[in-house]
Amino acid sequence: MANGPQPGPPGALREAAMRGLAILASLLLGGGVILARLFSRAPATLETWVVFCLALYLALTAFLWGLNGFAFRRLPLSGIPLFLFSAAAFGVLFLLGYFVGGVAGPFLGDAASRIIPYVHIADAVFLLFAVMTIGGAAGTAFSRNIIYSAWSLLFAFLGVAGLYVFLGADFPAVAQVLIYVGGVLVLILFAIMLTKQIGEDPKLTNAHLDLPAGAALALITVATLTYMAFMAPWKTVASPSYEPTSAGLGVAFLTEYLLPFEFASVVLLAALVGAVVIARKEIKETSETVL
Amino acid sequence: MSSIGLPHFLAVGAALFALGMVTVVTRRNAVGILMGVELILNAANVNFIAFNHFVEGPGRLTGQVFSIFVIVLAAAEAAIGLAIVLAIYQTFRTIDVEETDLLRE
Repeated sequence: MANGPQPGPPGALREAAMRGLAILASLLLGGGVILARLFSRAPATLETWVVFCLALYLALTAFLWGLNGFAFRRLPLSGIPLFLFSAAAFGVLFLLGYFVGGVAGPFLGDAASRIIPYVHIADAVFLLFAVMTIGGAAGTAFSRNIIYSAWSLLFAFLGVAGLYVFLGADFPAVAQVLIYVGGVLVLILFAIMLTKQIGEDPKLTNAHLDLPAGAALALITVATLTYMAFMAPWKTVASPSYEPTSAGLGVAFLTEYLLPFEFASVVLLAALVGAVVIARKEIKETSETVL
Repeated sequence: MSSIGLPHFLAVGAALFALGMVTVVTRRNAVGILMGVELILNAANVNFIAFNHFVEGPGRLTGQVFSIFVIVLAAAEAAIGLAIVLAIYQTFRTIDVEETDLLRE
C-alpha cells in the first residue's frame, strides 16, 4: 500500500510507515528487555546491566524518532539533538524510576519477586494521582493550543480531587469535581469558544517572558519549595484519620465559621450579579452600534 | 504502611504552583492566564488539606474549611474573570493581554 502511486507527497506515507514501525520496534525492544531483566534468574553483573541500559536507551531513541513524525512536529529531532534529548529523557526516566522506589532495585537485584515489597498499593495510587495532576498542569502551562490547555486542566483538577480523597477529605474532593470540573472548566471552555483564538505558535508566549524563561522560573520555584517541603521539620501527627468529614464541616460552617460562611454567600451573590452585569452591558452596546 | 507523607503532597502542591505561575507569566491569552490562576489556587488547596490531614490531626477541620472557602472564591473569580474577558473581547475584539493596554475604548 505504501508503494502504490499516491497522489499526495510521495515520501510522506513511507516515512510515516517507517516511523510507526520504529515506535512499534522500540516498544517491543524496551518491553522485552524490561521483562527479560525482571524475570531472569541469572544474577545481574555489570555487563548485563550496561547492555540493559543501552538497549533501553536505543529503544527510547527509536521511540522518540518515531513519535517525532506524528507529534512535536514543530520540534524536529534528528542527528545529535535527537540522541542528546533521548539521553536526557532516559536520565529523567531512570531517576524517576529510581526514586519511585523498587524499580531500580530489581535491576540491581536478581528476581521479579523483589518488586512486590517495594511498591505499596497506596503509594502507587498516590503516584498515579500526582502524575495525573502534574502532567495536567504541565499540559496547561506548555500546550500550544488553548483548547488542549483546557483539557489538560481537566486532568489536573481530577488529579487534585484524587489527592483530596487520598488525604481523607471526602467533601472537598466532591466539591472539587462538582465546582471545578463541572463549573469552572465549563466556563473556561465557553470563554475559549466565545473569543477568537489567539496563540498560534509565534504568539504563544508574551514578549517579556518567553517559554524557556518560564520553564527556568518553574524549575527554581519547584526546587526551592520541594527542598523546603522535604527538609522542614513538620510536626506531623502519629496516625492521621480517614473519618468522613461532611458532618464536621457542616457544624464548623454553622458555628465557628458562620461569619465567613455568610460572607462567602454574599460574595457568590455579588459575583453572580456582577458577572451578568459585566458581560451583558457590552453585548448591549455592541448590538446598539450594530443597529 | 504507606511511605507517602506530608512532603510528597507539598511537593505536588509546589509543582502545581510553579506550573500555574508559568502559565500566568507566559500566556498572552487572557483565558490562559485565568487557567494559571486556577492552578495556583488548587496548589494552595492541596497544601491546606495536606496540612489538615498530617499536622492538624483527627477531629480538626480548619484546613478543609479554608479549602472550601478557596473553592468558593475560585468559582466567583472564574465567573467574574471570564465575564471581564468577554467584555474585553467585545470591546477590543481580542483577548491578547499585550494589546489590551488601554483603560478606554
